[in-house]
Amino acid sequence: MTTATVTDSPPGQRGESEWAVETHGLTKRFESNVAVNDVELLVPRGCAFGYLGPNGAGKTTLIRVLLGLTHADAGTMFLLGHSVPRHRDVALARVGAIVDEPRFHGHLTGRQNLQILAAAREPAAKGRIDPVLERVGILHRANDKVSKYSMGMRQRLGVAACLLGDPQLLILDEPMNGLDPAGMLDMRDMILSLVAEGRTVVLSSHLLDEVERTCDAVAIVDRGKVIRQGPISQLLAGSSFEVQVQCSDPDRANSLLAATTFGAHVQAGPDGLAISLPEGTDRDAIAEINRLLVEGGISVFRLQHIQASLESWFLEVTKRLGEAE
Amino acid sequence: MTTVTEVGAPGPAPVPLPAETRGDHRGSWIPTWGMVTTRCMELRRRRGLMIALIAVNIGIPVVFLSVRLISHAVAPRSYGPAGGYSIFTTLVAGFMYVFGFVVAAVVGCTAGSTDLTEGMFRHLVITGRSRLALYFARIPAGLAIVIAMVAVGYTIVCAVCVFAAPTQLNYDGVNVPVGLSQPALHSWAAAHADEVICDFNFHGGAGLNGPPPNVSCGGQLNGPPPGTVIQQKGGGTFTVPAAESPAQIRAFAVTVANQDYADYHSQFLVPSTTLMVDVGLWIALEATIGFLVGLGLSSLMGQRTVAVILLIVLELILTPIFSRHIILHLLNVQRGIVGVAMAHIEPGGLPTPFSGGGGGGGDPLIPASTLASSLVIVGWIVFWTAIGAWRMRTRDA
Repeated sequence: MTTATVTDSPPGQRGESEWAVETHGLTKRFESNVAVNDVELLVPRGCAFGYLGPNGAGKTTLIRVLLGLTHADAGTMFLLGHSVPRHRDVALARVGAIVDEPRFHGHLTGRQNLQILAAAREPAAKGRIDPVLERVGILHRANDKVSKYSMGMRQRLGVAACLLGDPQLLILDEPMNGLDPAGMLDMRDMILSLVAEGRTVVLSSHLLDEVERTCDAVAIVDRGKVIRQGPISQLLAGSSFEVQVQCSDPDRANSLLAATTFGAHVQAGPDGLAISLPEGTDRDAIAEINRLLVEGGISVFRLQHIQASLESWFLEVTKRLGEAE
Repeated sequence: MTTVTEVGAPGPAPVPLPAETRGDHRGSWIPTWGMVTTRCMELRRRRGLMIALIAVNIGIPVVFLSVRLISHAVAPRSYGPAGGYSIFTTLVAGFMYVFGFVVAAVVGCTAGSTDLTEGMFRHLVITGRSRLALYFARIPAGLAIVIAMVAVGYTIVCAVCVFAAPTQLNYDGVNVPVGLSQPALHSWAAAHADEVICDFNFHGGAGLNGPPPNVSCGGQLNGPPPGTVIQQKGGGTFTVPAAESPAQIRAFAVTVANQDYADYHSQFLVPSTTLMVDVGLWIALEATIGFLVGLGLSSLMGQRTVAVILLIVLELILTPIFSRHIILHLLNVQRGIVGVAMAHIEPGGLPTPFSGGGGGGGDPLIPASTLASSLVIVGWIVFWTAIGAWRMRTRDA
């Protein structure tokens, strides 16, 4: 694992081919509102990458800028190593994307809609229509009009449209929207299978639980700005964590812990003590707590390390950001 | 400063472009054949639009002609033949020309806006295909439908007008053999003096200062009773004779026929092949303009309904008004209206458009040269195509 600093990699000298998506100083304004604010984003190839943020954070706008659906006001960007918008046609030849809710011509069948999209791609795309319909599980409904499709089926058709170009990079904006639990599971499996084939999947979502289950790395965006990015395991490793303890004398355990230098915040609850340890605390602290209690003559019945979830970490990060302002 | 940690070792090389992608000219503004055919398919599958298109271009002329065919077959003395020159000109100038434009404009407005309103525009842009190619694919696709419909409707009209044409020319209510030379018409008039005197238009003039001779027209005399003294314009008087001789009556009929020969000569039983070809091209051009203007306008506006309303107002309200009433300070604006320009280049032999079809009555068209009218037409086509393509290229998806 290596570590890079984005600002240390000026656009002209970066190895643009190394990244599926690369942006530098990307900015998009809507009058006084800065929807995408000086975004520095590096998405490694061959992984599932989550682009997280609350509603209105600028996730969809960034995707629209990347895909050339709207122009950027400043900055540079590269898709699969090709400069966009200068080589947009070449770059997008191997990109598939769903932006917002996937919508199609309702009076046409799913297959006919894909025929229109395949015609705009390379000739080989036409031959991929049935395979991609089968892959997303709607081949049996391919000859039904899209107006009769459920939201989940339209999402699947959207993914099928993405796959028509045999893409190396898929950008999916809220792909879980409108899906039932089984549909979400299918979508998650599909994303993982796409990654397993060596494709890169960028997943924009506010469903943190889904992203945590699906993605290898994430970027957190808030008010148009990327505030954190990296592999989930590393991001969470640096966050605060909690230790739950069930013991024979909670009051005395609380007093003993208060006298230590852990900086722990102890709270008594029905399940015992909940000990919150600050960000950056080493895991050895858990063993130290156990030793302290045992040496103090307190019987320890249960001691459990609770790793912060992506959701709690996300809320922690965004809360801190709000407090700082 | 944002610190980024790589997820894994980045790939060693840029993603190579597959061979089939390199050859697909994705950045070219020229659409592929597949884009045109699928776009055509998308329009054809719009059931409501197609029904409207067929109803106006084919259905209404067919119903009109069918009613005439049946009526004539049932009661030939009461109802004239279904076809013929006058029916042709009435249908073409009074109906197909105007409503062909409107329906073509509706198709154009649909083609120009539905990708946007139905969410497909975004999918298409993401393919990386040139936006200009996406726009230009709509033109042959839409025209293939519009022109085909117009052609079918027009062919039916031509066929009926040719094959169900009257066998005799009905001129001023009198059945007259067709294609007579001037001496032959004179001879025919002498032989049918009563009918000519009763029904043909009498214009007065040299040698015909008096009223027409009295002949029986449907059991009644067509002039004042014998012995009546008529005050003439020159100041003299004229006494209606007790009776004209047959020779006088024939001479008068020949004179009347001579007056009407030019008008008679311009009447035909069937439209000529040249006229049908010219009119067909003229109608096709009108439909093409309607489609292209609709396409450009709806692409500019991003929606269909308002664009359709604007074009209907232009064709059915503004163009008829501006084509006939000269507004001094707006004369050049009037000349710049495409419907007015199209009226100026209509094939000879048709009644003037916007005059209600049959007679070409009403005020004449505002003055404009053929060159100016042609430039206006080209200007409209180029302007609206360019404006639609520009908006397509710059629009946020």
